[in-house]
Formats: sequence, C-alpha cells, structure tokens
Amino acid sequence: MVLRLTCALAAVGAGPVAALDRPGGPVVLSIMGRVRSTNAAKAANAANAADFDMPMLERLPQTSFSTRTPWYAQARKFTGPLLRDVLTSAGAQGTMLRARALNDYWVDLPMDDAQRFDPVIARLLDDKPMAVRDKGPLFLIYPFDARTELRSATYFSRSAWQLRTIEVR
Amino acid sequence: MAVADDRSPLARLPAGGARGGPWRGSWLGALALLLTLGLLVAAGVQIRQFALLTQAVRGGDDYVVLTIYQAEAEHLRLSEQWSRALSAGEPIDRATLQLRYDVWVSRVGLLTEGGTRRLIDSRPGWIQTVQQMEAFVARADRWLGEPAGARLDLAALRDLQPGLLALGPPIHGLSLAAAHDVSEQFAERNRVVRRHNQIGIALTILLAGMTLAFAAIVFGQMRQLHARRQTLEDLAASLYDARREAEIASQAKSAFLANMSHEIRTPFHGLLGMLSLLRETSLAPRQLDYLRTATESADHLLAILNDILDISQLESGRMVLAPVPIDLREMLRTVDALMRPQATAKSLALHVDAEPQVPEWLVADPTRVKQVLFNLLSNAIKFSDRGAVVLDVRVREHGEGRRALGFIVTDTGIGMDEATLARLFRRFSQGDETRSRRFGGAGLGLEISRNLARLMGGDISVRSEPGHGSSFSFQMPIHELPVPPVPAGGAAPTAGPLPTRLRVLVAEDHPVNRQYMAALLGTLAHDAWFASDGHEAVQAVRDRRFDVVLMDMHMPQLDGLGATRAIRALPDPAAATVPIVALTADAFPETRERCLLTGMNDFLTKPVSPEQLATALRRLFGPPGSAAAAAPQSAAAPPLHDGLIDPVALQRTLTAVPRAQLAAMVHSYLQQGVETVQHLRAAVRDGRPLDLRVHAHATRGAALNLGLPALAATAEALHEGAAHLPAHEIARLVQRFEQQLGATGVAAHEHGLSIDVEAAATSEGR
Repeated sequence: MVLRLTCALAAVGAGPVAALDRPGGPVVLSIMGRVRSTNAAKAANAANAADFDMPMLERLPQTSFSTRTPWYAQARKFTGPLLRDVLTSAGAQGTMLRARALNDYWVDLPMDDAQRFDPVIARLLDDKPMAVRDKGPLFLIYPFDARTELRSATYFSRSAWQLRTIEVR
Repeated sequence: MAVADDRSPLARLPAGGARGGPWRGSWLGALALLLTLGLLVAAGVQIRQFALLTQAVRGGDDYVVLTIYQAEAEHLRLSEQWSRALSAGEPIDRATLQLRYDVWVSRVGLLTEGGTRRLIDSRPGWIQTVQQMEAFVARADRWLGEPAGARLDLAALRDLQPGLLALGPPIHGLSLAAAHDVSEQFAERNRVVRRHNQIGIALTILLAGMTLAFAAIVFGQMRQLHARRQTLEDLAASLYDARREAEIASQAKSAFLANMSHEIRTPFHGLLGMLSLLRETSLAPRQLDYLRTATESADHLLAILNDILDISQLESGRMVLAPVPIDLREMLRTVDALMRPQATAKSLALHVDAEPQVPEWLVADPTRVKQVLFNLLSNAIKFSDRGAVVLDVRVREHGEGRRALGFIVTDTGIGMDEATLARLFRRFSQGDETRSRRFGGAGLGLEISRNLARLMGGDISVRSEPGHGSSFSFQMPIHELPVPPVPAGGAAPTAGPLPTRLRVLVAEDHPVNRQYMAALLGTLAHDAWFASDGHEAVQAVRDRRFDVVLMDMHMPQLDGLGATRAIRALPDPAAATVPIVALTADAFPETRERCLLTGMNDFLTKPVSPEQLATALRRLFGPPGSAAAAAPQSAAAPPLHDGLIDPVALQRTLTAVPRAQLAAMVHSYLQQGVETVQHLRAAVRDGRPLDLRVHAHATRGAALNLGLPALAATAEALHEGAAHLPAHEIARLVQRFEQQLGATGVAAHEHGLSIDVEAAATSEGR
C-alpha cells in the first residue's frame, strides 16, 4: 500500500532542481559520483557531491506507506521523499547506486529500482524522526507489501538503514 | 436361414460384455480415487515446502547472524574509539564517539526486536548476553543517551570502559553460537527439503504408474467398446443383407410360382381336355376304368395346382375377393349336393343346417366361402370313419350391433391332440406324419382356408380331442342385404348347344391345345379355324368373317392383347367388332382386367371345359332360339335411318338462316364427319377413352345445332360409353355413326338441302 503525499511545505523545491540549494544545517545525505547538481560547501567533501540537509529532503514531495519488514515485529509507517526524486534533484546519471550507511555497510542496487519499485528515503518512522539508534536518521526502504517479488532477501539487503551517502556509478 | 449358427455374428458377440463392464468400472473408479489422493498428497508436500521457504525468508535466520556479527563489529569499533578518547593528548571527539555509540546501540536494539528477538528468546544463554548489553547501555545512557543526563568526561569514560570491554567475549560467543545455530537450522531445513523431495519423487513415480494403469484400462475399455460396436454394426449389416436376401428370395418364389402355374396349366389344359374327349369315344370297360383313374389323378393334381396358386396369391397379397349378393341357403344346398357323394362313399351321415336367424341374403365372395367350406367338410369326411359330419350355420352377436356368421363343421373322427392342433394351420403339415401318409394331400388346404377367412375379416378356430372328433369353426362378419336383389334381366343361360353353327377362330400356339379346342368345338357343333400366333389371327379376321375369336393370351410374335388391339383397329367394321374371348392359364384377376380393358369381351381360364365354353358362347350369342341375338350388330339397336333429320328443327333454323347457307353448313359437317370417324377409330385403337369423349361431344353439339338427331344420339352414346363400354361395342357405335353420315347426306338431299360444289365455294368464300 503506497500512499503518496504532496507536501505543501515543499512547494518551493518541487520539480527538477536546476541548481541545488546550499545546505543550511548538518548534511544528512550526500549523493556522490556521477551527479551534475553539486553544492558541496566544505572542502572536506569531494568536489562533485550533492549534499542534503533534513529541510531540503522535507521540501521534496513526500511519500508514505506502511509495510512489514524483517526488522520490526509489526508493520511500520515510513515517510520521506522518493529515491528517484532525490536522485533527480541531484542530477544523478548512472546505472548503479551504492548506498552506504553510517557503519560503513554498503550495498549496490540498480538505479532502475528507483523507477520500478518506488523506494523511499524515509526520514519519519510512524511520523517521528528516527534517531541513529533507531536506524535513523535516514532509511532507504522498499514498499515490500506492495509487490510480492519485493519480499525477498535481495530487496531486504538493498534496504540500507542509517543511510549516509549514495554513490552514482 | 440358420440363426443359431456358430459363425453368425450373434455368436461373435463378447459374452462377458455384461459382466466385464461394471468390474472394469469399479477398477477405474478406485484408480481415479487413488490418483486424486496421490495428487492431494503431492500438493500437501509442496504446500509444506512453500511454507518452509516462506518462513525461512520471513524469519531471516541468516539475517540474525549478520545482525549479531554487526553488533560485534560495532562493539569493536566503539571500544577502539573509546580507547582513543582515553589515550592522553587528544581531546575527546564527542561527535564520533556519540555516532559509534548510537550505531552500536542500534545494533543491540536490533537483537531485541522483531524476528531476532523471537530467536534469541528461545535460547537462555543468548538472553543473558543481550541483557548484559542492555544493562551497559542503560548505564552509559546517563552520559551518552538522549538527552544526556551528565557531562561526558574522562572519568566517566574510564569508569564505563571495563563494562564495555567485558561485553566483548559474550558478544563473540553469541556470534559464534548464532552461526552454529543457523547452520544447524540450515542443515535441518535441507534435510526436510530432501525428505520432501524424496516423498515427491516417490509420489511422482506412483502417480505416473497409476496414470499408466488408468490409461491402460481406459484404452482397453475403449478397444472393447469399439470391438462391440463393430460387431453390432456387422450384425446389423448382415441382418439387413439377410432380410434383403429373404425378400428377394420371396419375390423370386412368387414369380416362380406364377410362372410354374402357367407352365403347368398349359399342357395340363391339353391333358384334361384329351381325357374328357377320350371318354366320349367308345371304350372297353377296362379302358374306362383306366380313364377314370387317370381323370381322378388329374383332378387331384389340378386341385393341388389351384392350392399352390391360391397360396402364391395370398402371400403376394394379390388375392382379391369378389363379394356379390348371395343366397346363403342356395349356396348351402350346393355345398351339400357336392359333398354328399364323398360322405356317402364312406357311409357317413352329412347334415347341413342353418339357424332361422341366418339371413337369406348377404354379400360375400361365394367361390371363396365355398372353398373354405369344401376344405373343412372334406377334411372332416377324410378323417372320419363312421358317424356323421355336421355343418351348422349360426349367427353370433359381437356387440355394438355387429354380427358374425359361424360355420361350424363337426365330425366324429379320430380327433387331434394338443401337439397336432399346434401344428395344424402350418404349411405342409397334416396333423402328423402317419396321418399324412395315410390320408395323402398337399396339406395346404387349412392354411389357405384360414388365410381366406382372415381376408374376409373372419378366422378359423378348432377344438378337438383325440378319439372324440374335431370341431372347426369358420367365422365371418355379416354384410347383410336387407332386400333380395332383383334377378338379372337375362335369365341364366340354360344348358344345351346353341342352335346356330358358329364360325370360330382359335388363336393358340400350343398344338395339343389346338387339337383339344378343335375337338371341343366339334363336340359343340361349331366350325373351327386356327391361327398359331397373333399376326396370323389378325390376318385371318381380315380375310374371313368369324362369329367369335378364342384368343390365347401367351403367343409368340404378337400376344393375345396385341392381336386384340390390332383387330379392334381394323378399318372393316365387321372385322373390328368381332367378339373376342381370352383363353389364359393365368388365374389372376388383373389379367382378366387387362383383357377386358384391351377390348376383349370375355375371359376363360384354362383348362376350358366344354360346359364353360358353351356357357361363354351362350353369353355372347344370346338366349337359345333367338336368331336376332346371334347377329351381334342388330342387338336392340334402333332403326338406322329413323329421325336422321328433324323437320321441325329444320324449319326453325330456316327462318334464321338462308337455305343455301344451311345446306352448305350441313354439307361441311358431313365432310368433317368423315375425319371425326377417323379420329374416333384411332382413339378406340389406342385405348384413349378421353379423346373419344372429346370428339364425340364436339360432333354431338354440331349435330344438334343442325337438327340431325340420329347422329347426335349416336355421338352421345359414344360419349357416354367411352369409358365403360367394351371395345367392340364402341367400334360398332363408330360404324353406326359412319353409316348414319352417308344416310344423312341422302336425307338432306331429299329435304331440299342439296348443294352443288360452286354454291358451297361461294358460300364459304363470302
């Protein structure tokens, strides 16, 4: 069950972002590799990276769905921008994505997944922000209950939590 | 046709058909049930396998191993960061330490959540470790929790470090235990899957076997059905063939019988005739005795021949009854008179009696009724040696006003037992073999009698006991005549020769029959001429005047019918109207019909007795002593020239039409009359009564208009009689019309209606 919400607050940032805003707060997500709309401020970051702080992600169109997962006993509600919207606003162009978590866990997923399965970069769990110890602050998650083929180890492993960077290849 | 032949299709029918069907059916049912059960079990195994896999995926047992491993890894990274913070000279990197701590806590949290929690709860050793970690987190959260209660300083770090490090070995143990546990589960699952596979394979082999057996039984069943159907079709085909053959054989038999009757009767005709002529000659007593024996044998043979003819007619349905009004008591007297000599010869009493209720007159075929009675009575006489034979005639009420006549023939003879009675009405059966030998006869009589009785709408029944005589009852429905019919105007011809010496032409191809006819006609004092085929007969009639032609039906070249047609078409009126009597061995009614339609005047069945011939000639040439009757043409005809022209009508017409014109019209009519005569002759010759009527009608109308009543009357007679008058009568009327045409011409002249050729031409040209 996929529930798509268009957030009124995010009206400014809706649509393709020609030039990405500079993040005002702490960077929570960096899209690296083959991205065109770069906005890296700090020299510490690699030159071609699109950085997002939480408000920037909030301004993108938001999607909500509830799904059962291997990590929680019950179905939980996840809310956040679609992966493909984030990639679009970063001007990402590639075939593969490498999602990397805070603990350096990484997993590769085809960029095609963003179109086919509507995965979401969730920032709210049951409408509440996620702490790091609650697999936050960002959780790349597939709507497992929407399609039976998603209920397999392949897609469970592609769901990276404590997501920090996405490298476009 | 043998039915119980071993080679007959009936014998080839599978005998076990009725028994094998249900037996096979129950086997099929059991197999189908087993197959279904086997498939259900296979489905059950597969469902279990599916559930197992689903559980494995959902439970994510291997995922637990990864989670514990990551918890261990994060614990190590946290421990390292912790040590780095405690080492001198470096400020505490609070953010990094906080991140490492949070990440590790999140891993610990994973162990207590969801499917992982369930797994860990099931193992007491694991719970302890998890509780240990949770205890540490609870302690550390005072400085590192959210929100942090106390400020994180070196002292706190140092205070907490031993607890953190102490977690190392249990977490490692947990990791190893989980790995072992999961691999065991994996092995177990593999084992289950393998067992399921084995069951599946066994089931598949079993199902395949059962399917094969099922298919084999079905195939066998189908083959059996096919064989049965084939057999039935063969049977039907052979039955059809047999029926057709039987029908063809039956038709051939009928044709054979008809032919044989003719073939036998033709020479027989000669034989009987010669015997009767022989009796007229002077013979020694011994010769007379031989002759009597020969005549008796011949009579017997003729009776059998007649029986066979009757049978063939009854079987082919060509037997037609000819019901006429009959005087029943008169008929009974005849029967009595004819049977009495036989009874007297065996010293038997014969009583013929009719109840008073029995009607005087009724409608029936006298020949056939007498035939049945003769048969029953002669049987009764034949099988009785003493006592009496009684014929009782009674009326039986059938309800609803229907009445039946019962002729009951009772004898005091040897009687019959049940078995004999059962065989009685069958062909060629005569009671029993011994009786047959003792009493002789063809054994057809009772069958014919019963069939005749049934044809009349009645039947014959019998009651008998051995030694106590028999009682045959012949019933027929009564078709009563309320009023006795008026006796026919012309009295029945009385016996005795005709006073006139007739000139008779006999057309007959068989020399013996010619000799016989010559003798016969000599006995009757008539003059005989002979022709040996149809052409000769026609030529003879042309050359000479005859009073009558006796015409055999079957002759080479031109048969009797063809010759008759040719004679009727002759231009000479006297020759064309000569009476023709058919002679034939065919006793079939349709033959008689054909003869009369063709223009013959009478019909005699061979063998011809002198009495029959004399009777036929008397029928043709009127009552004895009447000279006028002997001349056929003048029979009851009005004077030829009376009323040729009606003077009253003539005067009336002359008031409207000028005399010359009327004369021309009469002349023209008379001229056309010659053509009309030709048309009429052609119609008579070709047997087209309709044409005859049309021409006669047209000419009659014209004759009435012109006031020529005699011609009109003759034309009307032609018109009326076209369909039913015999051909020679019609030929006579045509001849009369022709004569009247000439006479009318003379009469017209006398009445001042003469005409010269020019005047006619002028009147027509105007």
